[in-house]
Amino acid sequence: MMITDYLPIFIFLVVAVGFALVTIFLSSIIGKRKITPQKMIPYECGMDPIGQARKPFSVKFYIIAMLFIIFDIEAVFLYPWAVIFKELKIFGLVEMAIFIAILLVGFVYVWKKGALEWE
Amino acid sequence: MFETFLFVLLAVVTTIAAILVIVQRNPVASAIYLIITLFCLAGIYLLLSAPFIAVIQVLVYAGAIMVLFLFVIMLLNLEKEKKLIYRNRLQKVLGVFLGGVLLAQIGMIFSSVLLEGSKGKFPAEKVAALGNTEVVARLLFTDFLLPFEIVSVLLLVAIVGAIVLAKKQI
Amino acid sequence: MVSLSSYLILSAILFSVGVVGFLLRRNIIVIFMSIELMLNAANLAFVAFSRFLDSMDGQIFVFFVMAVAAAEAVVGLAIIMAMYRVKETVNADEMNLMKW
Repeated sequence: MMITDYLPIFIFLVVAVGFALVTIFLSSIIGKRKITPQKMIPYECGMDPIGQARKPFSVKFYIIAMLFIIFDIEAVFLYPWAVIFKELKIFGLVEMAIFIAILLVGFVYVWKKGALEWE
Repeated sequence: MFETFLFVLLAVVTTIAAILVIVQRNPVASAIYLIITLFCLAGIYLLLSAPFIAVIQVLVYAGAIMVLFLFVIMLLNLEKEKKLIYRNRLQKVLGVFLGGVLLAQIGMIFSSVLLEGSKGKFPAEKVAALGNTEVVARLLFTDFLLPFEIVSVLLLVAIVGAIVLAKKQI
Repeated sequence: MVSLSSYLILSAILFSVGVVGFLLRRNIIVIFMSIELMLNAANLAFVAFSRFLDSMDGQIFVFFVMAVAAAEAVVGLAIIMAMYRVKETVNADEMNLMKW
């Protein structure tokens, strides 16, 4: 595969970044700016905000993100396996079964520990 | 020609973003610049005709690992940390100096050692004909079978370790 | 055609930037990001050699390095959080529980 085959992706990236930049730039020069306290609050109608947005949030989110990464790596190993699965036949199935089985131990541990419970 | 242009563009953006990672005071900004660095590295992998590695780079590094970084930054209350301004001029100067020395040393090794070895079995054209992912997969699940299985043990240890550490009572 | 040395020089620059970041910064999260930079510099060298020496082993190694980096990020950030809960800081200089 030649590098020029990736030209559509390159153009796509340029257009995406360009659109974002142009939009921000245009709205900053065309739009009027009258700053009033009423305009600066996140929601113009409804509840007044309490405190700051940069509050530390719960450790539960971290645990989910962390488990996501581990099983993301597992999924990444599944892609090349799927590509040549037919070629490897039963041998490929067994080695991937061992791989998944070892990770399943970790999954059962996480489940039993209650790390997947939201409360 | 086009390849050289792309390499120079990506290399310059990578280097600038990498330097911005370490000079930004706000860790969230550092994380964003690190994402740019990793994304440009994925482009460089494409130039090196390793499309599979490039995709994995975006998927795992620029996607998952950076999400984790941002989560941790959000998790910690960094408001008071921002005020923590660390000033030790001598250490800064020494650090940059030693980094420069390291760069010079690596450069000297690259220029003095002949960067050639016995050629392997997979020239780029052959890999392109066979399909990059297929070649990687065939090697991974035959020659590198044991390391592949050990990775699962490593991931298991990482799961257990992180759960133990993230528990409220340590 | 871009030569092997240009890729290696880029890799060396990235690695040096990582080392400087590690030495200069005291925020442990940024130190961690510097480590990721160094890992990526090594990955770049692996892929460059794999391309120019016509061998695929480098790409397989990058694969494993990424798996190790993910495991390292998960456990390392968990350590940072546990440390933050005890010490209320992300300053690397104040994390001296194992020093005496």
